[in-house]
Amino acid sequence: MIKFHPSEEYLFNYVTGELSPAMLMMVGTHVDMCPQCANTAQEMETALANKLFGQAQLPEEFEAGNEGFDGAAMLAEIMAQTPQQHDDKVVKLSNELILEGKRFELPATLARNHHRIGQWQKLIGKMWRAPVQVGGQDVLTMIYMAENTRVAEHTHKGNEATLVVNGVFNDETSEYRDGDIMFLDGKVKHTPETRQEDCLTLAALDAPMHFTSGVSRLLNPFSSLFFK
Amino acid sequence: MQTATETNIRSKSMSSAQPDNPDHAAALLSLVANEQSRRAFSELFAYFAPRLKAYATRQFGNEQTAMDLVQETMTNVWKKAHLFKPDRGSASTWIFTIARNIRFDILRKNKHRQYDLSADELWPVLAEQNESFNDDYGLDDELLMQQLANYCEELPKAQRTVIEMIYVVGKSQQEVADALGIPLGTVKSRTRLALQKLKELVQRND
Repeated sequence: MIKFHPSEEYLFNYVTGELSPAMLMMVGTHVDMCPQCANTAQEMETALANKLFGQAQLPEEFEAGNEGFDGAAMLAEIMAQTPQQHDDKVVKLSNELILEGKRFELPATLARNHHRIGQWQKLIGKMWRAPVQVGGQDVLTMIYMAENTRVAEHTHKGNEATLVVNGVFNDETSEYRDGDIMFLDGKVKHTPETRQEDCLTLAALDAPMHFTSGVSRLLNPFSSLFFK
Repeated sequence: MQTATETNIRSKSMSSAQPDNPDHAAALLSLVANEQSRRAFSELFAYFAPRLKAYATRQFGNEQTAMDLVQETMTNVWKKAHLFKPDRGSASTWIFTIARNIRFDILRKNKHRQYDLSADELWPVLAEQNESFNDDYGLDDELLMQQLANYCEELPKAQRTVIEMIYVVGKSQQEVADALGIPLGTVKSRTRLALQKLKELVQRND
């Protein structure tokens, strides 16, 4: 049972595409895993479609400013093209991630972007990370923590979001399982750790410039999870 | 020649059914999909194109870009109507999601964004429904598979069982734990030991 969901605002901005690529991936992956949020997202799409297309009469100001709309020419141009028929082409996607001899099944959004997951690198302790190249300012990373692994207490200068893809981790306040998504701002201190089970997560961090310098990387060991 | 459906739609049109009636819009889409009906598409176009234009003009504030969005959206409706699935949502929702994706892709190429991530990687609105996930593990080299099968014979029985359930049958570690009635941790350690052993065997015989 998923306990931690993105806010309605995040869901809405996911539906319209108004989030950074990293956050779109985060919320999209949560929606893949959470029937409740998938349902809400679909209701939002329907509501937006109704708002957009529902009115029987177009607004007057639109009709007035619409003289340049040459519908007939466009219509003819479109219908001159040949419609596509059903094809039996099956798009094969690999939804499997193998790491440290373990198999993980990736949710659909991540599976569609499997090619964006870069090389896994081993970090101090029993942690691994791989960058996910989606573009934009935020940094998106997959992090794997083996059993009984603890990250030193840290804070973030920016905002951090973490989604559990598979497994369990704990911090001071709660336990996070498959599909749970958590948001932290720069003020919160936390110490994520795994216990008997390992944990694969997807994490997004907005990227203030001063984080990337060599010195602050030394000062903040956790930043090395996100930045090369 | 007129089909029964077309006659039916025509009579509905006569009784002033509009594409904002969800059933009517869905029926028009199915005529486009099955018969490439120009009349059905023209009716959809007359209703949706101006509304898309109004939306796109608000979004972009640029006439040309707005027209591009309308044209690209309606072209997809014409060419890919067979991908509309009535059980998944209304026709207008489907058209909205196509327009949303096109808008996203127009904006992501903007010099201030330059996103790598594309709309259909996020929302596969126009993917064939039989999109499937691949579960071969990239080990399609028959020889290697045969070799690995031989090496598996050398594993202790408990480890071999776990490996077969995970890599041959395709179960998750949790499913294996449930099926065998053993703790998840045991499945994980057996998997780890078995893979370690297999790695040694492969390296030794390389």
